[in-house]
Amino acid sequence: MKLTLKLALCASLLAVAGCDETLGGYPADKTIDRGIDSKHLSQLQWGIWVDPRGCDTWIADDGLEGYMVRRLDKHGKPVCSGVAPPTHTAGHFKGGSRIPDPN
Amino acid sequence: MAKVFSKTARGMVGGIAAAAFGVILIASDVAAQGAEMGSERFRRDTPSQQGRDKGQYIPTISITPDGCEAWVMDDGAEGYAVNHVTRQGKPVCREVNVCGVLNSDQYFATDSYHINRGGQQRLREFFRNSSAFAFTVIGHTDSRASDDYNMRLSLNRANSVAKVAQSVGARLVDVRGMGERSPVAPNNTVAGMAKNRRVEILCFE
Repeated sequence: MKLTLKLALCASLLAVAGCDETLGGYPADKTIDRGIDSKHLSQLQWGIWVDPRGCDTWIADDGLEGYMVRRLDKHGKPVCSGVAPPTHTAGHFKGGSRIPDPN
Repeated sequence: MAKVFSKTARGMVGGIAAAAFGVILIASDVAAQGAEMGSERFRRDTPSQQGRDKGQYIPTISITPDGCEAWVMDDGAEGYAVNHVTRQGKPVCREVNVCGVLNSDQYFATDSYHINRGGQQRLREFFRNSSAFAFTVIGHTDSRASDDYNMRLSLNRANSVAKVAQSVGARLVDVRGMGERSPVAPNNTVAGMAKNRRVEILCFE
C-alpha cells in the first residue's frame, strides 16, 4: 500500500527530489525524510493515541510514514494520563506533513 | 536559580505529605478532567481530529513471533504498532516461548544450586536438541525463607543452568532470578510450593 502510493505520487509529481531514489531504494542513513516534506526526523510532530487500556502512546502521522512509541515515565512504567478516552487521540499529530490523509 | 528550585522542591514535598491521604482520589479526578477538557499541549480538537475518523483509531491485535500482543492500526497511508502492555507495564503475551520449565526438586537439593549429574546430562541434551537461536534462563523459588535469600538462590540456580547451556555452545540472552516474586501457584499448599520451585527457559527463534 505504502510503496504503491509513493510510486503513484512520484509518477504524478515527476522530478520531485527523492523519487528516483524511491525506485532504486534508499541508502542506509534513515535519519531524514527525503522528497516532498523533507526534514530531519528529530522534527517529528508528536501527538498522543490512548490505547484500549487507557495508556498513552506517542503517535506521529508524517505523510506517508507513521510512527508510534509507548509513552513511559523514566522508570519504564506506562503513562496513563487520561488525556483522551481509550482509542482516541489528542494533539496535532498530523501537523508535521503537508500530505493529506485519505480520511 | 538553584535556590528557587530547592524552595519549589520543598514546597512539593510538603504538598505531597499534606495530601497523602487524598492522592489516589486526586489522581483519578485529574485524569477525568483531562478527558473532558483536553490539555493545553495536547488538545482534542486540532486539525488532526477533524477527518472522517474524528481522531479515533480503533486497533486490533497482532501477535509477534515471540507470542506477545501488539496493537496495530492502518489508517490508509501508514501503519502503526505498539506493544500491548498492562497498566503496570507488563507485556501481554501468550506463553509461546517458555520452552522449558525445570522442576527444581529434580535438579537441585534443598538450598543448593548445584545440579546433580543426571540433571546436567538432561540439560545438555535439551540445549543440544533445541532449534532455538538463543535462550533466557529465569530461576524461581517458593515463598519460604526471606525474599532476599530467595532472590539469591533463584539467580544462583539460573546461573547453574546457564553454565550447562554455555558448555554446549548455546547463546544466552539473559539470566535472571525472580525469587518468590513470580509464583505460578499459591504457596499455601505443598503442591503449590513445589510448582513454584522452578527454572524457566525461554526460547527465542
